[in-house]
Amino acid sequence: MDPLFKIRNLNLYYGDFQALKSIDMDIPKNQVTALIGPSGCGKSTFIRCLNRMNDLIDSARVEGSIEYVGEEANGPDYNVIELRKKVGMVFQNPNPFPMSIYDNVAYGPRQQGLKDKEKLNEIVEKSLKQAALFDEVSDRLPNSAMGLSGGQQQRLCIARALAMEPDVILMDEPTSALDPIATQKIEDLINVLKEHYTIIIVTHSMQQAARISDYTAFFYMGELREIGETDQIFKAPQLKQTEDYITGRFG
Amino acid sequence: MTSQSKKGLIKRPSFSKMDRITRNVLLGFGLLSSSFIIIIAVFITIEGIIPFVTDNGGLGRVNVWSFLTGTVWLNGQTFVSTAYGVGYVVLQTLYVAFLSLLLAFPIGVMTALFIAKIAPKNIANIMRSTVELMASIPSIVFGLVGAGFFLPIIYDFGQLFGISSAGGAGTLAVVLVLALMSLPTIIALSEVSIRSVDASLEQASLALGATPTQTRFKIILLAAKNGIFSSAILAIGRSLGEATAVALVAGNARSGPNFGLFDITSTMTSMMLSGLKETTGIDFNIRFSVGLLLMVVILLTNISLNLIKRKVGNFDA
Repeated sequence: MDPLFKIRNLNLYYGDFQALKSIDMDIPKNQVTALIGPSGCGKSTFIRCLNRMNDLIDSARVEGSIEYVGEEANGPDYNVIELRKKVGMVFQNPNPFPMSIYDNVAYGPRQQGLKDKEKLNEIVEKSLKQAALFDEVSDRLPNSAMGLSGGQQQRLCIARALAMEPDVILMDEPTSALDPIATQKIEDLINVLKEHYTIIIVTHSMQQAARISDYTAFFYMGELREIGETDQIFKAPQLKQTEDYITGRFG
Repeated sequence: MTSQSKKGLIKRPSFSKMDRITRNVLLGFGLLSSSFIIIIAVFITIEGIIPFVTDNGGLGRVNVWSFLTGTVWLNGQTFVSTAYGVGYVVLQTLYVAFLSLLLAFPIGVMTALFIAKIAPKNIANIMRSTVELMASIPSIVFGLVGAGFFLPIIYDFGQLFGISSAGGAGTLAVVLVLALMSLPTIIALSEVSIRSVDASLEQASLALGATPTQTRFKIILLAAKNGIFSSAILAIGRSLGEATAVALVAGNARSGPNFGLFDITSTMTSMMLSGLKETTGIDFNIRFSVGLLLMVVILLTNISLNLIKRKVGNFDA
């Protein structure tokens, strides 16, 4: 099967500093790919290339090829809005908009011009159900999203991304601000979502990567050092460095 | 809070003597500043009720009701207790203040959005300094600009449509001057609150495929609305209380209310100011009554705007 993302010789510079060094990577469809590595290794910077969020940083320069479903997505003429509709993102800290739960989920579709109330209701309900949040909030959809707990807010952010019916969900350490129970819920959710979505998740937790991912990529100092099936990476890493990192000897 | 810190003053022996002295000195300053508001309120109230409770040197008492609802203010008469009606002035004051906000608010917020989110750094810095400079211009200068620059233009503009105005003085001139004066307040405060919106909200919106324009108007302005609303409250407070600049361009209407843009007008502050130094007795004291009423009007306006703010801002809990 063709990979969903095909990344070749990707280099990223913040001014003079090179944050990513000639990355080659294929990301398979409908699988969970975990990115691990010590802080500052470039894994967050890397996933921000996949929905072109680095465009927002003036000093960032991205060179190389990022093919998304066979099309070069790193060109200046590529439609970034269309890309972001297909490649959703969940951030490290839950960041619901200061509006109602309903409006948070409906925000994305509304910006695409969807006004039909029934269709919006349908999308909101479906997305909240997919994010395993509907039962907890169904009686208070018009209430402020700021009143939810941290874990609920993060699942709302997932629902908000799902409302766009994306193909890919990028998750940048989505549980690092959550307690163990809320983390467990998000991990369960990821296991369900991978049936229909391609998930790329940055995580600092080895256990989390081992539990939820199909593929694991080890980043170090801006380089992709090793990538493979999660089982193989954790049981029989090919590089000493990978082994040292996953066994907690550094990082 | 206060009772706690007072308790603390007595109960915490571990404070060194110097700390205690400092605390007491600061407490003194705090009490001094907060007592000014009481002194002012008491003074204005005492002076302001004189026309209503004395016979004003034989002229008779001023009737509170006809003072509050009156439509004429000493129009070519000698001093009599029945000559002072301020109802129309209150209406005109609120009218010009809200009109000026209507004009300045959208311009100010859009400017703030531009400075905070769109302008390149160096241009943003220049604009920020300009706004600060504008905020520091004394109101009399705004009045002079109004009188020397706006009035002739308004007069000519009116003539174009066959409207004759009192040399351009009136509602429109006051609204323009007040709008100009409230702009720096609105821009500066809105800009700060727009800039302090969490960057991750902006990123979340863009990551959902929203355009930068949609993100600015639907997320950033929404998240900054508390500060933006506060800027409007401060601006209208300034407009209600501005005297000098207004008096120069209002035309000092002695009866009303006049709501036409080219009609002369008057505000509570301009009525207090006009001829203040050349009069005595009831005509002098009654200005304190207007001042007292002005404080009440500003207080009520602030309370109602804050109520609206709480209603509108209920998603930030």
